[in-house]
Amino acid sequence: MLDRRGFLKFVGGAAVGTLATPVVWKGLDDLSIWTQNWPWIPRLDKGNNLNTYISTTSKLCPSACGMRVRLVNGRPVRVLGDESNPLSRGGVSALASAEVQLRYSPARLKRPLRRTADGTFVAIPWYEAEALLRAELVKAARDGGLMCLSGDENGTMNELLSALTVAMGSSDFYLMPGEAQTTAAAWKSLGGRGRVGYDFARSDFVLAVGAGVLENWGPVVGNRRAWGRARPQDGEPAMRLAYAGPVQNNTAAGADWWLPIRPGSEMAFLMGIAQLLFAQGCPSAGVESFAELAAVWTPEKVARATGLAPERLQQVVEQLAAARAPLIIVGTDLGQGGEAAPVILGMALNTLLGRVNQDGGLRILPEPEPVFPRAMSYGDMMAQDFTAAVRAVADKKRAAPSLLMIYEANPVYAMPRGAGVEELLGSAGFSVSFSCFLDETARRCDLILPSAMGLERFDDVNTPFGLGEIFYALCQPVAEPLYESRAAGDVLLDLARLIGLDMGYATFREALEARAASLGLDWAGLMKGECAISRATLPLESLIFPSGLIAEALEGRFIQPEKGALAVATFTKLAFGTADSAIPPFATKLITDAELTAGELSASMNSATIRELGLREGMKIRLVAGEMSLPARVRAFEGVAMGTVALAAGFGHTNFDAFNNGKGANVMDLFTTVEEPGTGLAVWRCPDVKIVKA
Amino acid sequence: MEDRQESTAPQKEVCSRFKCRLCGVAPFFVGIVVALVFGWWLFPTLMFNSQEQPVQFTHDTHVNVAGLDCNYCHKIRPDGTFSAIPTTKECAVCHQVLLGESRAERVFWDEYVRPGKEVAWLIYQKQPDNVFFSHAPHSLENCNNCHEFSKTELCLFCHVNVKDKAPTYHENRLSGYSKDTMKMWQCERCHANPNHLAGTAANNACFVCHK
Repeated sequence: MLDRRGFLKFVGGAAVGTLATPVVWKGLDDLSIWTQNWPWIPRLDKGNNLNTYISTTSKLCPSACGMRVRLVNGRPVRVLGDESNPLSRGGVSALASAEVQLRYSPARLKRPLRRTADGTFVAIPWYEAEALLRAELVKAARDGGLMCLSGDENGTMNELLSALTVAMGSSDFYLMPGEAQTTAAAWKSLGGRGRVGYDFARSDFVLAVGAGVLENWGPVVGNRRAWGRARPQDGEPAMRLAYAGPVQNNTAAGADWWLPIRPGSEMAFLMGIAQLLFAQGCPSAGVESFAELAAVWTPEKVARATGLAPERLQQVVEQLAAARAPLIIVGTDLGQGGEAAPVILGMALNTLLGRVNQDGGLRILPEPEPVFPRAMSYGDMMAQDFTAAVRAVADKKRAAPSLLMIYEANPVYAMPRGAGVEELLGSAGFSVSFSCFLDETARRCDLILPSAMGLERFDDVNTPFGLGEIFYALCQPVAEPLYESRAAGDVLLDLARLIGLDMGYATFREALEARAASLGLDWAGLMKGECAISRATLPLESLIFPSGLIAEALEGRFIQPEKGALAVATFTKLAFGTADSAIPPFATKLITDAELTAGELSASMNSATIRELGLREGMKIRLVAGEMSLPARVRAFEGVAMGTVALAAGFGHTNFDAFNNGKGANVMDLFTTVEEPGTGLAVWRCPDVKIVKA
Repeated sequence: MEDRQESTAPQKEVCSRFKCRLCGVAPFFVGIVVALVFGWWLFPTLMFNSQEQPVQFTHDTHVNVAGLDCNYCHKIRPDGTFSAIPTTKECAVCHQVLLGESRAERVFWDEYVRPGKEVAWLIYQKQPDNVFFSHAPHSLENCNNCHEFSKTELCLFCHVNVKDKAPTYHENRLSGYSKDTMKMWQCERCHANPNHLAGTAANNACFVCHK
């Protein structure tokens, strides 16, 4: 008979024996694997899935990447570069490649939302949202109080929005401030007609002043492909690049020469180049006033204003003179809110070098003919200054709009804090945002309408800014809109019909078909991903150098920051989103210490500046400009000009998603808007900052 | 006699003491034996349930009788994706009418082809979602740069033999995976083999298989 002691011995033996069996080890292994199969964990749909590909164009990426979207059983899963696209040639930006996944962003709007009396939002059905907007449109049509802001840079959608605005008795249609408006204003100042593009791919020497041509300026993916083609690993480079700017950003890192100049000293740099060109015998006939203005900008004077050694300026001019097809591109690192005067100088220098309408030069492109009746022309759209309009409303110099309609733009985040956008939204009678994401601007509107993303709707790209050719490509839906989102173009055409406005088309696709027909393009071909490229140009007519304007713009500039203060230089990467998007989840791994340090904005300075200010690397500081201040951490980086602090733009979202909110700070908090001397344009400027130890 | 008796008594005592000690540890050893029997014989049986495929499919019939090549159903597409198991629609290219009088054919035709329903095949080699596997680099062409595998040998390196009757599918009651699902150490027979580093791209870095 087994007694108690015997039983315990049996149990002990069984326990020892069990250790020599797979029970424990296999059991633990299976238990850990079991955790992979909890029912709430999403599963992959594996099996015999059919792969298909649709060619389309990115609306999210400003460089209009040609995309081949891979679909598995009809569901888009991946964006690949489209080798047949003549612009991006198989290249794809980090932003475009994340477009499929961004459809499922936590910030994606799922259904229409209406603000309630207590400031919270309630979900409403589309018919209720449309009825609400329709009533507001009727009211706005009566008093002509519609103001419309578009975040689209180059699509036919802007024609629909401007046509609707005009049809409603208003002229307040605006584009988000960008380089296109600055360039258009500069070209107009020179007396030019048409629009200007830069033939980057065919140039053999590009001098980029402030324009991040390899990172965020113009058709950057196309630029990178052209740069790559011209620089074979085993051959002689067919193109050289010099970048002048205060930060050694990605463009400077890729360029043959980085010319570190102080922030805001671009005009001095360009005047120095003009002085040397004239001195070397460039004909001044017809531009005597330019030569007269430039005469005083000796390399030594330029060095005092820019911090660039005179011999380096001389080297640049030698390169320009020796090049077969030199090109000067002037832009801003932010890609928005820049000044027109430096761009005018850049254009004038291109003219001086005889590079207008030449291969690899500055090209005058014809403006697209609108397909919507009553739509504003390209030139008229470019002349509309949103920054000035916002300032006027904020300063109560003009009436607030009765209806503010915002299409895929996020001015609350992307414009300077001091611009007055909050005041505009606060004073507008009613505000509506067509947006894909619940961003900072949408959250301040009375009605939010979920917009279908570029992969879910018909749209188009008509010559991205900066390109030296006419380019047209179609965006087509590769999948049904997620949730309850709808294409804004179709919603607006429906509403216009309901309030008795004839916009000429029943659907937005019809308008695009008309656009294709007007350009002589085959719709079926466009649907297959074919793009149209034309190298047609407008003839160069006599340009007038605006010497008075330039002289005024040069006045009072190049004052060194007072002791202890630093000039601010910004930089950004395309991967960190644009003015109307944010950092896609896939791109968070591209954030480096150069942008964020321990979750805070990196304030990059060279070690001499850090020593001079008594700081040390990693120290928590605040950048103070007047009443504005920004938290940051000191980072030592020798690729920043003396007396300058470099800050990354694209961070500090407060209302987007978990991948953006609370990361770093928004540099726009330091910016303010000022009137540019000479041109009178409302431009963005960051004052010098003082460093305060936090 | 008495002397002899006197002399054997202590021996008996030693013997019975020895027996008692044996008896004392016997439950311990019995416990070990029972645990071993349970652990090595009963436990593996209890851990898995047995299921038969919804349709009794035989590769033998399709290859040897119908004369189909493996690639007819299991092919690597031009874009590198693998077609895996054909859909009912693809099977119906041949099975649009009843082929033969077997019970399996009748079940397949009645329950799947006619209603256009997919067969819920039980996948012997089902891998977790965190494993990214592509058939494309595991091809005969790649492996036979150095080896001399036949098509069957290469397939059987990972797959169970399905030549004749579809084998019984054993599903782990706890983890939910097939008994034949390859474990990582089995993948590492090739991936961690230093000889593979020179001639192939099959290294053992995490991101090769886990994306």
